[in-house]
Amino acid sequence: MKHFKTFKALMLSVALTAMSLVGIPTDGMAKSKFVFANSSPYDTLDPHAIYDVGRVASRLNMYDGLMRWLDNPPKLTPWLAESYNISADGKTYTFKLRKGATFHDGSPVEAKDVVYSIERILALKKGAVSLFSKSIEPGSTQAPDNHTVVFNLNAASSIFLATVPAIHVVNSDLLKSKEVDGDWGGTWLSKNEAGSGSFELTRYDPAIGFQAKRYANHFMGWGDKYLDEIEFRTVKEINSRVLGLLNGDFHGTDGYLPQDQVKRLKADSNMNVLEEESMRIFYSIIHNGRKPFDDVNLRKALSYAFDYDAFINNILSGSVARNPVPVPNNIWGNPKDAKGYTYDLEKAKEYLAKVKGPIPEITIGALAGYGQTEQAAALLQNGLSKIGLKSKIVAEPWSVASKKMRDEQQMYDMLWLWRSTYYADPNNWVGEMYACDQVGARNNSWYCKPEVDKLLMEARVEPDQAKRAANYEKAAKMVTDDAGGIFVYNTKWFGPYNKKVKGVRFSPIGNAQEMRWVYME
Amino acid sequence: MLWFVPTLIGLMIITFTISHIIPADPVAFFAGENATAEQIEALRARYGFDKPLHIQLVNYLIGVTQGDLGISIYTQRPISEDLLARLPATMELTFMAVFFSTIVGVPLGVFAAVYRNSFLDHFLRVLTVSGLAIASFWLAILFQLLFAMELQITPLQGRIDGWGPEKITGFFVLDSLLVADWESLQSAFSHLILPTLTLAFPAMATIVRFTRAGVLDAINSNYVLYEQAMGLPSNLIIWKYVLRNALIGTVTQIGLIFGILIAGAVVVEAVFDWPGLGLYAVEAIMNSDYSAIMGFTLVTGAFFIIVNLIVDILHGIIDPRTQD
Repeated sequence: MKHFKTFKALMLSVALTAMSLVGIPTDGMAKSKFVFANSSPYDTLDPHAIYDVGRVASRLNMYDGLMRWLDNPPKLTPWLAESYNISADGKTYTFKLRKGATFHDGSPVEAKDVVYSIERILALKKGAVSLFSKSIEPGSTQAPDNHTVVFNLNAASSIFLATVPAIHVVNSDLLKSKEVDGDWGGTWLSKNEAGSGSFELTRYDPAIGFQAKRYANHFMGWGDKYLDEIEFRTVKEINSRVLGLLNGDFHGTDGYLPQDQVKRLKADSNMNVLEEESMRIFYSIIHNGRKPFDDVNLRKALSYAFDYDAFINNILSGSVARNPVPVPNNIWGNPKDAKGYTYDLEKAKEYLAKVKGPIPEITIGALAGYGQTEQAAALLQNGLSKIGLKSKIVAEPWSVASKKMRDEQQMYDMLWLWRSTYYADPNNWVGEMYACDQVGARNNSWYCKPEVDKLLMEARVEPDQAKRAANYEKAAKMVTDDAGGIFVYNTKWFGPYNKKVKGVRFSPIGNAQEMRWVYME
Repeated sequence: MLWFVPTLIGLMIITFTISHIIPADPVAFFAGENATAEQIEALRARYGFDKPLHIQLVNYLIGVTQGDLGISIYTQRPISEDLLARLPATMELTFMAVFFSTIVGVPLGVFAAVYRNSFLDHFLRVLTVSGLAIASFWLAILFQLLFAMELQITPLQGRIDGWGPEKITGFFVLDSLLVADWESLQSAFSHLILPTLTLAFPAMATIVRFTRAGVLDAINSNYVLYEQAMGLPSNLIIWKYVLRNALIGTVTQIGLIFGILIAGAVVVEAVFDWPGLGLYAVEAIMNSDYSAIMGFTLVTGAFFIIVNLIVDILHGIIDPRTQD
């Protein structure tokens, strides 16, 4: 008994010592410091090695480009470039750089840095290279003087300007000094930065995230309200992000949380949830190149067998916008008069009756870990069973699905997924998803119709946006009438922030992760 | 020690085979959905994934002998660099969990045996069964809700407020002490509490059960009867003679637990956003980052073998008879 009392006393003293060391978590953050909880890890800071939305914060805040997408609907705004000119044949783009822009080490941003940046993107073959590899030859970009950059494209392109923001300009002199074994400074840049952006890196740990301080000499200048410091931390668990936000550990997190979490945040008096329609459509690919899915009657039957209203209103609690065509509602080129499909089993059966030949069990692909794709697959399976069609759901990780998508034989019969905004041009959607020259690459539907393709090819080189818009509207309608896929919704962004956070500017490219205008009240 | 290298080679071959059987394409995944076929093939050649599998394996094993664990396709950094950066976080958490579970579990096991069939024994039985049955992720979230959200006496997640003390060893508690950074020490310690409790709970349950069984077994020995007859104090008999014999099985379990906790840390690190090897492994698997998966397996496999070697040595010290 004696030693038990001794043990009890020992445990008590340990506990008391622990309590004294625990302390109460305090808000040790500076007044003008913003902390964001991100779902993706910041594995690398190299802006030319990655091109995903999950890690966009490092690129947007520490780097500048010739142009920038701002606000919603996104406007292409001159940034490092003060003006540009497109030649009559659409093959030469000349940018004039503004004077006075500097990198974080104080050296001026010059045309040679832009040339180096595009050459680096082409050489690394990573990140956004697919936007440029077909249109720009290595060595073709020129810098006739310190403030003029000339892009000489292989062929006329009306899309190129929309993709220019993806060329993040890096400090060429600095990176050349860090090159090892011809790596273009890749190893060094993966954990450092060489930018001119609104914030300069102060700390980075791939396991934690990055921290940056305001770059006072940024060429855009600063008003009287700004953040002195930003911190983007990796917090993978949704629960941890939400609880951390409610607890005051973070000031903001991503805007694509499940609706039950959004409601929870909205109910808190210290939270402010901003709402915007983004440009990220949710749809199902249909393998148009495989029998019997090459039969438009079957595709129409599938399109009428999906309960759009139930999915949007019941499963997603009305948190998204119905988008019946392969172009987001809120961008030019969207055919506003297109009705799309509805849940109509009678019509589905009607079209099914016209299908010649047997219909095998349909494989519906979903992305493992992405609940909505699995829910959509289950809902579709339910509809198909009501019209007498057998199906099976195959949920696989994105790393597996993305491989199968490029192989005509391995590709699923149908696959639920999203199409994000890489650049704000209708070509990003209908122009790539249904173009014949993109089959097996960005066209994973194996859809190729000459009349649609003609419209898309014309739009790629037509300089007049109104004419381009007309082409994309027609093409989108044709693909929809042809049931090239099942188009369900356009995503809404629900950005949760601490109510002290002001000045957030949302753009579908960037998802409000550029902090230049944000301040704490 | 003789089996160290063959065991690791076997582990590497199995892991390599399994990771490559999965029908994923890490290059295409990394290149992004907009990548062209040419871009993907160029990247595949750059990382050596265009070579036959057996050549890739041989090249990898040769690289390992030279200390080169490859480059992460995802981070573009050497795997060894990524692992070294994350190792201290997992080691610190694991050490704390093992330490806590041992200093609490062993005495509780002794008491459970000494006061066999008492209320204390029954209570500990319920506690230990719970420890073995409860899912760690559920326990972790419960702890977060109770201690961090409701009572607000511990942080919710993460390893430290801010970025930690000046890096010497990478162990935040130790580094804070070494540089006398008391604020970081307090923060590091407070962040350790919930993940340590979560990780230690099932480990403690195992230690309590093994210690109890070992003590009960030893208590009924003839030498204990003799010592009692000789009039030795009971606490001396229990804590010096009985415990030493009872600990043989417990020490073995502690060694095994060490290795198991490294694997178990994956779930705990995910819930608490603890930036260690476990989280790194999860990301590597989801990204099909072959080199990272192999590197993690190599490190944890080597660690497990070393820990078991230490356990064998300790066995010999505690019970010299095993050296004969």
